[in-house]
Amino acid sequence: MKKEPLVVLKDVWKIYQMGEVEVPALRGVTLNINKGDFVAIIGASGSGKSTMMNLVGCLDMPSKGHIFLKSRDITKLPESDLASLRGITIGFIFQLYNLIPTMNAYENVLLPLELQGIPDSIAAKRAREVLTLVGLGDKMHNLPTQLSGGEQQRVSIARSIVGDPEIILADEITGALDSVTGKEILQMLYRLWKEKGKTILLVTHDLKLAMYAHTIVELKDGKILSIKQNGAMKKFRRNKK
Amino acid sequence: MKLSKCLKHAFNMVIHSKLRSWLTIIGIVIGVGAVIAIVSLGEGMQQTMTSQLGQLGGDLLTVTAGYSRGQGFGGHFRGGGGSSSQATEEEIVVDRFDVQVLKGIPDIELIDVNIRGNVDVTFLGKTGSVSLTGVDQKIWSQITTLDIEEGRMLDSADQNVVVIGARLASSYFDQPLGINKMITIEGNAFRVVGILESESTSIYMPIQMAYQVLDDKENGVYDSIIVKIKDEDNLDAVIEKIESKLMLSRHVTEKDRDFTVSSNKQQQEARAEMMASMNMFLIAIAAVSLIVGAVGIANTMFTSVLEKTKQIGIMKAIGARNKDILLIFLFNAGLIGLVGGILGIFLGALLSGSLPALMGQTFLTRGGTIVSMNSVIMAITVSILVGMIAGAVPAYKGSRLKPVDALRYE
Repeated sequence: MKKEPLVVLKDVWKIYQMGEVEVPALRGVTLNINKGDFVAIIGASGSGKSTMMNLVGCLDMPSKGHIFLKSRDITKLPESDLASLRGITIGFIFQLYNLIPTMNAYENVLLPLELQGIPDSIAAKRAREVLTLVGLGDKMHNLPTQLSGGEQQRVSIARSIVGDPEIILADEITGALDSVTGKEILQMLYRLWKEKGKTILLVTHDLKLAMYAHTIVELKDGKILSIKQNGAMKKFRRNKK
Repeated sequence: MKLSKCLKHAFNMVIHSKLRSWLTIIGIVIGVGAVIAIVSLGEGMQQTMTSQLGQLGGDLLTVTAGYSRGQGFGGHFRGGGGSSSQATEEEIVVDRFDVQVLKGIPDIELIDVNIRGNVDVTFLGKTGSVSLTGVDQKIWSQITTLDIEEGRMLDSADQNVVVIGARLASSYFDQPLGINKMITIEGNAFRVVGILESESTSIYMPIQMAYQVLDDKENGVYDSIIVKIKDEDNLDAVIEKIESKLMLSRHVTEKDRDFTVSSNKQQQEARAEMMASMNMFLIAIAAVSLIVGAVGIANTMFTSVLEKTKQIGIMKAIGARNKDILLIFLFNAGLIGLVGGILGIFLGALLSGSLPALMGQTFLTRGGTIVSMNSVIMAITVSILVGMIAGAVPAYKGSRLKPVDALRYE
């Protein structure tokens, strides 16, 4: 049975204007990410992987081409709809956690639900549940500065899943962690994919971490160099542009 | 995001940037405090004006000697220049002949005459200088708007008796000066028969006795003639009639006119208008500090948006709409204004309470100060609005940030 595409990138270009000079970060990228996929995007620094994640996450708009999220062309959506999409459909996990420093772990996790206008009692229950799920049930009232890097990243994961999004975008999420903690975090992400059926887009420059994914997309100079099924290493598409 | 949540996040922002918020708040506190103190002075003056207006009566006219062409309130003078119809050539006066003329005008109901001066008054060994008014005791009680608190008004048979102001009775001397007590005025003994409600140190006595006490006054010459007209609605017409009759009898024309007919109501209205203008001028000066406070809020908000750029990016990434960000920053600015406004009201009330002591008894502070509920509500509303207006542009700029740019901001 054919899988339903959750994210579709069609000939997507992203060009940054640096004064007089145009710098292309993505050059005609076409890619389908299906529901339930665990996709790793790998590539060297400057290959365009973070740009691609920003575009898929509706944080930025392509210069050319179209991006469809759940069959809706995000390039044609107003800002308020994009905000709703980000809040309901997408969960972000950032390299440097990006927690609000003045809020404790619980408040950080509660924030996406507050933004969606979820009733207080439901939101509070849900925030406690996910914090317990990531193993921080006893540190809910700690400020980010009172948590270790790994714990902060777990808060970030809890925040990304509290709204039960369909897709989780993870950008270099182990970049600021030691190898043991990084592995734990990756295993947590893997469980979310395996047990909760989330679609995961993992951006990393580390091939070892990419091995957790079942599809590995390699970017180079803003183009897709290869898309490989994990293990099979089968090159089934190459962007020749 | 619900409004209550936006407010909560705005409140947290104030709490978490304590020092900067408080410094900004101080600007608003000073502005609002200054406005409140000045408005309270104005309200005090206004109330005094209103009470004086009520006391004076709208149906009373005052005829005095002298005439000033651009007259405002109190625009008359005595003596000097012009010609006199009945008295000496040097001094312009109003006198019994003018009273006779006025008695011939049917629109006039009552005519009182008075003379005034400062006298030394002694009671139980203590002497002080106070204002004395000699009045026609047969008419005064019917024409005056002063009320008696204790005792009685002057009547037609009275001679060596006086009616005194409440302050003279209660606190001017070491001991209270009560009814039937004897006081000495310029060496003459007088008995107190009445105490007025009015908080003054004035003394009222029959005019014939006043002529004896005030050496420089000539019998039959008055400082002013007070006229009560029959119908207040005809005020302007009666003034015209009085002026024309007196010009005829005093052999003067409009050009060399030597007397003034003033309506107490008009005088007080003109005075109230001038006070209101002066009050507005003072408020405008105080408002400058409020504007400086508003610039402070705008500055703080711009800094805050800049400082929180990354947080704006994070919030947008997890679903915040432009409107949510806008409201949070607007509420933040409004809260700074609100706190500044509330503290400013306290400062203003404190200042307004100390102003009479600091400035002494001037015409500004004579009426006392009143911090009314209206000015409190107005101050809070204005300070919130000032905060929100000052915060509007930074909040808008913050809300329009692109999530990806905001997230990259370090």
